[in-house]
Amino acid sequence: MLIKKLAAAALAIAASVMPAAAQDFIAGIPRNEALIIQGPAAQNAEWFNLWAPGGGASNNGLQQLTADTFWFVNPEGTGDAAWTNALAADRPQYNDDFTEMTVPLKQGIYWSDGVEFTAEDVVYTVETQIANPGMNWSAPFTINVDSVEATDPYTVVFNLKEPNSRFHTLFTVRWNAAWIMPKHVFETVDDPLTYANNPPVSLSAYEMHSYDSAGNWVIWKLREDWERTSIGMDLESEPDVKYVVYRNAGNPDARVIEQMNHNLDVINDIAPEGMFTIARDAGENSAYWFPGYPFAHPDPTLPSVLFNHQNSKFQDKDVRWALALMIDIRAVAMGSYRGAANLAALSVPPTGTAVVDYYEPMQEWLTSFEIDTGARTIAPYDPTVAQQIAALVKPQWGDDIPDDPAQLAAMFGHGWWKQDIEAANELLEKAGLTKNGNQWLLPDGTPFTIRLMVEGDAIPTLARAGTILAQQWSMQGIQTTVDVAGPTNGQRLGAGDFEAAVYWTVETWGGHPDLSFFLESYHSDFIVEPGAVQPPRNLQRWQDERLDAIIEENRTVSFDSPEVVQLGMDYLKLAVEEMPFIPLMAYNKFAPFDTTYWTGYPSAENPYSASGPFWSNTRYMVVNLEANPNAPGAQAAQ
Amino acid sequence: MDGFPKYLLRRLLQFFLVIFLGVSGTFFITKLSPVDPVEQSLSLMTNFGATDPRAVELMRQALAELYGLQGSIFEQYLAFWGRVLRGDFGPSLSSFPTPVMSLIMSALPWTVGLLTLALIITWTLGNLLGALAGYYRTNTLLKLSGAVVMALHPVPAYIVGLVLLLVFGFIFPVLPISGGAQMNLQPGLSLDYIRSLIQHGTLPALTLVLVGIGSWFISMRSLVSNIVTDDHVVYAELGGVSSGKIFSQYVARNALLPQLTGLALSLGSVFGGAVITEFLYNYPGVGRLLIQGIYRGDYSLVLGVTTMSIVAVAVAVFIIDLIYPLIDPRVRLG
Repeated sequence: MLIKKLAAAALAIAASVMPAAAQDFIAGIPRNEALIIQGPAAQNAEWFNLWAPGGGASNNGLQQLTADTFWFVNPEGTGDAAWTNALAADRPQYNDDFTEMTVPLKQGIYWSDGVEFTAEDVVYTVETQIANPGMNWSAPFTINVDSVEATDPYTVVFNLKEPNSRFHTLFTVRWNAAWIMPKHVFETVDDPLTYANNPPVSLSAYEMHSYDSAGNWVIWKLREDWERTSIGMDLESEPDVKYVVYRNAGNPDARVIEQMNHNLDVINDIAPEGMFTIARDAGENSAYWFPGYPFAHPDPTLPSVLFNHQNSKFQDKDVRWALALMIDIRAVAMGSYRGAANLAALSVPPTGTAVVDYYEPMQEWLTSFEIDTGARTIAPYDPTVAQQIAALVKPQWGDDIPDDPAQLAAMFGHGWWKQDIEAANELLEKAGLTKNGNQWLLPDGTPFTIRLMVEGDAIPTLARAGTILAQQWSMQGIQTTVDVAGPTNGQRLGAGDFEAAVYWTVETWGGHPDLSFFLESYHSDFIVEPGAVQPPRNLQRWQDERLDAIIEENRTVSFDSPEVVQLGMDYLKLAVEEMPFIPLMAYNKFAPFDTTYWTGYPSAENPYSASGPFWSNTRYMVVNLEANPNAPGAQAAQ
Repeated sequence: MDGFPKYLLRRLLQFFLVIFLGVSGTFFITKLSPVDPVEQSLSLMTNFGATDPRAVELMRQALAELYGLQGSIFEQYLAFWGRVLRGDFGPSLSSFPTPVMSLIMSALPWTVGLLTLALIITWTLGNLLGALAGYYRTNTLLKLSGAVVMALHPVPAYIVGLVLLLVFGFIFPVLPISGGAQMNLQPGLSLDYIRSLIQHGTLPALTLVLVGIGSWFISMRSLVSNIVTDDHVVYAELGGVSSGKIFSQYVARNALLPQLTGLALSLGSVFGGAVITEFLYNYPGVGRLLIQGIYRGDYSLVLGVTTMSIVAVAVAVFIIDLIYPLIDPRVRLG
């Protein structure tokens, strides 16, 4: 009798608990007013101070939806359209020798608590961070700024310690930038480094609604005075998205399931297999960067094979070129991205404006480029690689694969180097290596082996690429083992504790041809001794006087000067000639959108915004989305 | 000093020694980690922006000073014990300046709630089924349940979890697959919140039960199989004592003693979290916190979690040691 009663009670509890699907997905918020974006698991959920190092919450919508600064560059854009004056009323204005920068500010912008934004906030931001080492932008302000003054409530003048034609980039958002602090909040705080800033006041169109103290979600709501923000004052009508939910949707498999259950509108990144599952099963309810295969959105980062130039094995460019010519890039593309890779022969990511500024104009130069193998001269560039990969994937993807070479170039890249084993062998012999059986020997007689470092599961596509490269080099007599670094990857790259690695040391603005974003740190002044930590970028420690000259010349021309593109081409030609690292492809990100509730996502056809939810440019996507009139509940709401 | 006081003192010394050695070992092991918290923070700050190399070096110096990582390892060790004795693990290095204790205390209720409940269910079911299977060895239903439990036992938690996630999250989407409770629901004792907690905890708990039940089942069945051949059981059977009474009073009760020790140890280890299950279901517990700490080189956080776990296991063992002489007269106090 007791057992029967217990069983009945258990069934009753189960019945009341099981139908989770019947409930609101978000308590108290209509699903058709909320955009749900993949967010992180916040370790310190109560922390909303973007200016202190504990600001691990920067990917939860805080910087994407509430912070603001002078300018934004759309990493997908080209030309003037890629540039947005946000808090600034105009582009940066420098004096002749780049020691002073004046910024006129827009008027009529308010913090979410009703206080007006003025030049005093900017001055406070810079001075407070200089006074508090350890704040996120303290170091670059300390190095660059001699003084900053508000000449009137809407004009800021920066006096610099030395000429710097790129100082404004500190306030220019690609992924993030120096965000402006609310003076009226922080000036009442004892220590800005330990202040949680909870709840945060907002300078952009959304403000905090609620958050999970366990760190799994944060909900942001549209400000009632959204027009009194830099993004809002340019809008023609009120955004449809009333709430933005950054939720940690779990592991990659769970993310795919959640999107197919319509509980996750925007995914940041998943493996190709997850992407293909959504494309196959989600039907009309999904959208992608490309409408069909290869789906992926190319980030302005450049996964490459990095050689440690302080290792004697890789100091001869003929050896580096030989390794490049041993690669069958089609196999790398198929193995890493199942073909959906955007290949790069040049040392900039083939995205945004780099396509029109560098890749298209340099095709002729690439095709005629020759190298001397010691036995003959060869032209290694193959402009037909995109067509070859298209032929490989066509049996699976059929009509998704066009015939037009221009479309194929946009999908798979403009070309890459031909696999040429004979030429590679000649180059190795030219470099003084000898072959014993199927094993290449270094000039000192020891076997030529390579430990190729990859990060591992965190970036599965690059780990797969590393495995295929290792196979290809091993088959040609250079025994290569894959070295999985896991969470120590970044540190080992910085410390030079690697022989070769698959990672990226080139990132660009995407929407602007200036390459100083990464190139500035390539100057030989910043190369450290073996064992010491190298500053970010130039992890391969490539040193070349010709490169220094290009960097120094770039410092003297303004950001928007036409000379920037010419200097960029000079760098790219030098990089092809020297092959300091082997560029492979753009970092293609599979970021599918669910269109059940929202439409109008950015795409290759209409790249009006970054699509990655952690990029601060995402705000332009959020305010431009349109409610799907066919969404569940939409009819009732009308 | 004889009897219980001497026994107590010996166990107390053992208790403190275990904690001292365990925590000290953890301290030095975490210091061997190749992951540097300063470099991890720098990497987060510079990964996506244009950063002047001179500024990076300045940031590195500022962070090292801010995180208080100066001093020899011995000085750090002494300072660490000083803080631990005050119940303070210092600031988290990956969530600076949030105290480690505050991070642990916000994750602990989730883990303790989930794991304790799952453990009690697992322990009860596993032992009950194991005892029955060991005593009624010819019963077909019990043989079948034994086969199922044994088949599940070697399957890794992530496989069981993934299958449950697919079945109940996708094929029959009746249960939430991520998080601890419904979004935007006010935490409290409301019916809605409690129901949401149960819904979100069901799949993680079921995973833990299915994976964990096998070991209790196997050990209990083995214990019972031995006891049923003991003289006192044979004598009781010959004496005509009912099989139900023999099972409950003569067999199961005796077999339960070592299982109680196991239960106490398992309850102690609850404080270390269930790393894989929490990760799989995005459950906001201590296991997830521990993984984040390891990946970010946050040894303050790793030390905090492991110290908590070591103390909890030591306390559990100590309590069992104290109770044992009371429930098992065969344990000598001398």
